[in-house]
Amino acid sequence: MKADLKPDLASYLLAMADDEMILAHRNSEWTGHAPILEEDIAFTNLAVDEMGHAGLWYRLHADLADEDPETYPDRLVFFREAPFFRNIQMVELLRGDWAFSMLRQYLFDVAESVWLPDLASSSYQPLAETASKIAREEMYHLRHTQAWIRRLGRGTPESHRRLSQALDEIWPYALQLFVPQPAEEELAAEGLVPLKSAARETWLAKVEADFKASDLALPDGGEPPTTDRRAHSEHLVGLLTEMQSVARAYPGVSW
Amino acid sequence: MVGEQGDQDRLAAFEDRIARGEKIEPGDWMPEAYRQQLVRMISQHAHSEVVGMLPEGGWITRAPNLRRKLVLLAKVQDEAGHGQYLYHAAETLGVDRQELLEALLTEKAKYSNIFNYPTLSWADIGIIGYFVDGAAILNQTMLARCSFGPYSRANIRICAEESFHMKQGKEMVIRMARGTPEQGQMVQDAINRWWWPTLMMFGPHDSNSPNSPQLIRWGIKTRTNDDLRQTFIDNLIPELHALGLTVPDPDLSFDEDTGHWTIGEIDWDEFYRVIHGDGPCNKERLDARRKAHEDGRWVREALAAYAERVETVEVS
Amino acid sequence: MTDTQWPRFYVFKQDSPDFPHLNCGSVHASDGEMALLNARDVFVRRPDCVSLWVAPASRVAEVTVEGLAALESPATSGQEQDYEVFTKSASKGQHARVGKVVANSPADALRKASEAFNSDSWVWMVVPSAVIVASPEDEGPAWFEAAHDRPFRHQSFYRTERLIREIKAGQHDPPGDD
Repeated sequence: MKADLKPDLASYLLAMADDEMILAHRNSEWTGHAPILEEDIAFTNLAVDEMGHAGLWYRLHADLADEDPETYPDRLVFFREAPFFRNIQMVELLRGDWAFSMLRQYLFDVAESVWLPDLASSSYQPLAETASKIAREEMYHLRHTQAWIRRLGRGTPESHRRLSQALDEIWPYALQLFVPQPAEEELAAEGLVPLKSAARETWLAKVEADFKASDLALPDGGEPPTTDRRAHSEHLVGLLTEMQSVARAYPGVSW
Repeated sequence: MVGEQGDQDRLAAFEDRIARGEKIEPGDWMPEAYRQQLVRMISQHAHSEVVGMLPEGGWITRAPNLRRKLVLLAKVQDEAGHGQYLYHAAETLGVDRQELLEALLTEKAKYSNIFNYPTLSWADIGIIGYFVDGAAILNQTMLARCSFGPYSRANIRICAEESFHMKQGKEMVIRMARGTPEQGQMVQDAINRWWWPTLMMFGPHDSNSPNSPQLIRWGIKTRTNDDLRQTFIDNLIPELHALGLTVPDPDLSFDEDTGHWTIGEIDWDEFYRVIHGDGPCNKERLDARRKAHEDGRWVREALAAYAERVETVEVS
Repeated sequence: MTDTQWPRFYVFKQDSPDFPHLNCGSVHASDGEMALLNARDVFVRRPDCVSLWVAPASRVAEVTVEGLAALESPATSGQEQDYEVFTKSASKGQHARVGKVVANSPADALRKASEAFNSDSWVWMVVPSAVIVASPEDEGPAWFEAAHDRPFRHQSFYRTERLIREIKAGQHDPPGDD
């Protein structure tokens, strides 16, 4: 790949890693508090998978940034301040109720189901291989969250109301999934990554179909709260304060 | 055959089967006392796994690196899984999981005391794996030979998964003991708080365990409390000493004649106080389980309603 | 509405194509699709698995040798259908799939199963093939591959025993030097 694109691809990968990591952390907050024992196990599996995926993307990022893939990921996750994270705001929001967390995971899973197969044909071999492996696991995630959305949508009046409320709150944030990343066009021109704008329509169509089966209406329009992945809410500060607390109390120490 | 003679014959045949090492399966004749003991023991074991998710689960969000975070997530997830296998074993004896959960949440059922202690530092997570899971493994290895098929099989599955739990804790403790002075202090402090409660996990002294002889005759237990506790101590003390760590027991000594480590007196007052609800975290543990249960009610109802509606549609 | 933990579904797991499905336990789920998804997360976090089945506990019938005599007489009418048969011997193991019978009721199926599959068997379990929900054959990798990529779930990933032996033997420098 062109040398001047390396930093841009590295940033792209960092953003993907941060999305997965922050989302996985939020999901892990449910462990021990899920509505039923089987979901303590199942939803935690999603968190374990997403965290594993984050690790893979962080390693690829480290390679491109000429850093040690064994140690750099921990430095990125546990020693960066909030303004330096590159996740979308949707994943840092508080976990809310079960409907909110399920819907957030569902919207993210649909997005991954759309762009991971495209990433699997990236001209950058390590990226293609990683995307291909992750895509297989994500297929299962989507089945799980699709099943949940359908059941919450058509369960009881209460579950439908909670899901609707969650949708109203989360929809603008979800739109940030498709905001193009910096230098995305140049990266796409080299076949390194797909264009997010193309993925958006496919995503909307899939979501609309699932919403229909859940008696939910696809919201009209809407704008994401930001188009800049450097912009975060204060929720991220609270999250990082907790997540980084032990690591930062003893920097440089081996655990 | 009806009447006392019939029951006595059946009891003799039942005890013969156990003596021959056969498994008793759901649907086989069993004395009511056997069934009741098992329901109590298995459900208590299941409740312990589920409540046991909480002291460590709270630290998932604070694990200091990616590897430890993933490992802790996987471990706590396994604990939920173990609870799940154990509730299943209890259910094969005809009890309903809903009833078992209600008994836990209304404090009619017990769970292992050890989970009523607080986790105060990251080192506690290592010690829980090393000590608490280490103790549990000894117990569960014994229960894997239990005469009741579903409980034996659940424990076999649990043992296979639990050895990673102990080892990851041990790995953490080794690293901390050989790390910085602060890490060393942190892990020694954790030991000072978890040592005695862990020893109490094996239950009262044999002289104070009235149920044990019958449990042994019926193949539910195969080793006594003191026997298991001694094995645990003998395995662990040399390892701790090799790491430069100590246990908070001024009376600890090695008996050259028996080859065993002898310990000081266990504070059984503390044991009974905590069992009866007066431990440091009893209230918090149950409050957390109650909240999860209550908060989840609308979810369970929604899916039950959906299933009913789908069934109705399919039938009509 | 009374609170519920949802009905139970028995879970049957096939570790490899050379082995039969084994009954590994049960899950609570609101319906078959959720049961299958839950079963995968509860029972397939570690390798191997190629196929997963779930069936409502209410449709599973079981009998031991002792109980055979007390089985109700076979119905004279009733639709004939396929039943999957699982058996277990007295001393060990999980219920393993041994084959199928055609029968017109659960009791009839159990009786036929005990006749058709009776070497070394102590317990028979039957379930109508039609109520089994199976993992999709063409989605094997999506469902079961992840288990192979999580080595930290396995005890061999941790070198603690060798490390402790070495420390005891004084093969490592005193603490603080690592």
